[in-house]
Amino acid sequence: MSKRSFIFLGILLGCSILAIMLYGLFFASNPKEIPSAQIGLKAKPFTVTTFDGKKISLDNFIGKPVIVNFWASWCISCRQEAHILEAAHQKFTPKGAVFIGIAINDTREASLAFIKRYGKTYLLAPDDKLGSISLDYGVTAVPETFFIDKNGIIINKILGATGRATLEEFLNEQL
Amino acid sequence: MVMMLIVGFSGSLFFLKADDMEDRVREISHKLRCPTCQAMSVKESDAGLSLNMKNKIREMLQEGKSEEEILTFFEERYGEWILRSPKKEGFNLFLWLLPGFLIVIASILLFRSLLKRSRDIEQKKLDPLSENEKKLIDQELNHYQSD
Repeated sequence: MSKRSFIFLGILLGCSILAIMLYGLFFASNPKEIPSAQIGLKAKPFTVTTFDGKKISLDNFIGKPVIVNFWASWCISCRQEAHILEAAHQKFTPKGAVFIGIAINDTREASLAFIKRYGKTYLLAPDDKLGSISLDYGVTAVPETFFIDKNGIIINKILGATGRATLEEFLNEQL
Repeated sequence: MVMMLIVGFSGSLFFLKADDMEDRVREISHKLRCPTCQAMSVKESDAGLSLNMKNKIREMLQEGKSEEEILTFFEERYGEWILRSPKKEGFNLFLWLLPGFLIVIASILLFRSLLKRSRDIEQKKLDPLSENEKKLIDQELNHYQSD
């Protein structure tokens, strides 16, 4: 191979490495934006017993928009969104929305203390020991919130603290 | 005495089976990405969700599910990114084959380059001396002879 070919290949290799680096810096996916494999699919059904002893099933809420929020008492971002979720619940549940909070990898005592501290009053229940519901929804971290339309289809997922605007936009559309 | 031997043998079999189970859990969890700390495998991660996944793998193995069924279970819920190795199909096949293909191409190019070089050397040996080269040789010979 001639010297010129070697130089050409070297430049090509160098440019390829540079292109990959630039892609990684500016265009690679934000981990928060990894799309859920569940979007567009029917939300997986679950039945839970709330912290105050009530048995609820997701299937009972077909015909209503449902917000399913996965949280934990040790989660910092969950503290940020606690007031936002509670405020949205107060505003939209009387209009027909449903808010369900599923606590994962948490103790009952810590969950109850968190609920009391942040004044959460919507439907709140622990996941089972295997975290089956969180696995079924493909939860990657807490908090993670799933937006389920009236037909039971997941149309959006937010990783991290949910914003008021996002909640209101979805619920205003649905109700 | 016989009963003790039977009990002891059964106990050791139980531990062997439990070890096999854990080996399989480790093997399968190594093939899954931790959903929270995505640079690590589920096997390496102590994140809560990874521990849940390991327990789920164990439960599914106890139910008699195969490795493929378990990996499919997680892929359906998380998406293909949960698998640490791209599946050998579609565009991913290109990723799997590319390194081997590049090695083959590089080997062919290297072989051709070496072959051409050895041919060039052989060719130079057969070429007759030019007039200039003859003159230079004569000059050197005269120089040594006069010494």
